[in-house]
Amino acid sequence: MKIVPKVLVTKIGLDGHDRGSRVVAAHLRDAGMEVIYTPPWQAIDAVVKLAIEEDVDVIGISSLATDHRIVPKLMRALRDADVTGVAVIVGGIVPDADEAMLLDAGVARVFHPGASLDDIADYIRSIVPAMREARSVTWETWHE
Amino acid sequence: MQMNEPPTLARLLGGDRRAIAQAISTIENDATGQDDLSRALAPHLGRARVLGITGPPGAGKSTLVNALLGEIVARDLSAGVVAVDPSSPLTGGTVLGDRARMGEHGGHEHVFIRSLSSRGHAGGLARRADRIVDVLDAAGFDVVIVETVGAGQSEVAIDALADVRIVACPPGLGDGLQAIKAGILEIADVLVVTKADLPGADAAWRDLADMLRLRREGRTKVPVLKTIAAQREGIAKLVDAAFAHVDATGRGQRLRTRLPHESARERMAPDTTQDESAPDRVTRLASRDPFAGFLGIECIGGGAGCATTRLRIGARHINFNGGCHGGAIFALADTAFGLASNSHGRLASGIEAHVAFHVGVREGDELTAHATQISRGNKLATYRVEVTRSDGKLVASFSGTVYVSARGHAG
Ligand SMILES: Nc1nc2c(ncn2[C@@H]2O[C@H](COP(=O)(O)OP(=O)(O)OP(=O)(O)O)[C@@H](O)[C@H]2O)c(=O)[nH]1
Ligand SMILES: [Mg+2]
Repeated sequence: MKIVPKVLVTKIGLDGHDRGSRVVAAHLRDAGMEVIYTPPWQAIDAVVKLAIEEDVDVIGISSLATDHRIVPKLMRALRDADVTGVAVIVGGIVPDADEAMLLDAGVARVFHPGASLDDIADYIRSIVPAMREARSVTWETWHE
Repeated sequence: MQMNEPPTLARLLGGDRRAIAQAISTIENDATGQDDLSRALAPHLGRARVLGITGPPGAGKSTLVNALLGEIVARDLSAGVVAVDPSSPLTGGTVLGDRARMGEHGGHEHVFIRSLSSRGHAGGLARRADRIVDVLDAAGFDVVIVETVGAGQSEVAIDALADVRIVACPPGLGDGLQAIKAGILEIADVLVVTKADLPGADAAWRDLADMLRLRREGRTKVPVLKTIAAQREGIAKLVDAAFAHVDATGRGQRLRTRLPHESARERMAPDTTQDESAPDRVTRLASRDPFAGFLGIECIGGGAGCATTRLRIGARHINFNGGCHGGAIFALADTAFGLASNSHGRLASGIEAHVAFHVGVREGDELTAHATQISRGNKLATYRVEVTRSDGKLVASFSGTVYVSARGHAG
């Protein structure tokens, strides 16, 4: 069966510039994905709850100011909630030094301003099968 | 990464968010094991009050759900929400936008929200939505809310799904009110004039109240309420009215007609005319359709819930660009739709139809339309029609909804 990637596009932190995240959301939609888009200023816990309930494959965080610095907090919150098989990607203005810190914290990939929208879509498509596999449950697990 | 502990039924029944979400995905993706899951959930169903909210696009449904969530958690109850969004038939992609409007209470620990895309599988979604409601019911939510777009999206008929059907109707709909009247109004248990802060709200209220007066006698009274979601006005009354309806008519109504492990697809309303076989009826009805005859559409055959029609594209079916006129293809599909939906012996009138064209068609091509029934409730039924060329290529996909009246066909 054809897999339709399910992606959360969101912004955490204080920066309210959502043009970038809107453009990405629209592009992923046109690329055939199911996109959950939220307004900016999401609380970490709300993002974790949303990702769990919607069973998304990818969380895309847009950061144009310093929001990316709280992404490690998100990674920790996801771990604390036992969320596995969900890739976190960050797009926006991220200095090289911070990129290393994000990858260390478990972020799958950082997209810089030069990256094309197609690169993002292609990357998501390439990782989704593995994410689904990691989250998959078989009917046997439904037995008590 | 650490291993997930397996999500067990026990965790789902205990309200574990991850287990609930994964169960929903199992159903949504039509994954193996969903039948076992359904079986396992069966003993735990029928406890939640299921509220169906429908209405035209932009009626204010999601905003209303958000306000309802506020009222429900204030009453110390929990709520699960399923918000159905249409997806593009071409790319399959969609921005699931309902949830963003429910953000205020989305983070509340007694609230669970799941967006569901129609993913192009027309009526299959109805069965899925049904089973997803089961998951939320079994997980122990006091209230389950299902938001669907009515009049223009045939995918989900909340008619068969909900314990109380709430139809949202904004002011200033004008002709749009006709569409609501055509089918959705008939299924409403509670009518809501949304955005009552806007001009025209009183007029809309009067229109709805007038229409109700025209409805069949002897039916339970349908309350007509007004809400202003942002100001929480009318919300408590709406919850009271919805709960009162459920308390009067019962919970778990979707389960009543469900035999053990039966799929919604197989569920049928009783038919009135049984003295004529469905294939005979399809042939007879086709023979008295002057418009189909005018276009050269033939009926190849049919049965209970299905029909096949055929058209050879001639010069008179061509449009100004030299291709086959879309209206001819629509008419071919619509004829099959009409025959399939009327095959059961109860008069069925189309209230909504949608077509997607996939490839071009030229003069000389022979097209075949095959209509199949996706779901059939007591009042609404949905059909899918596939139009193919003689080389087997899919030319167009059509989906439509009919309103099934209690009457049979004249003569
Ligand atoms: N003035 C006013 N506007 C409202 C009210 N409720 C909703 N709206 C506005 O109506 C628009 C549509 O609201 P939604 O809640 O998204 O409507 P919907 O029916 O869920 O829309 P779809 O799911 O896209 O069909 C938004 O711009 C809302 O802000 C209200 O009570 N008063
Ligand atoms: Mg909505």
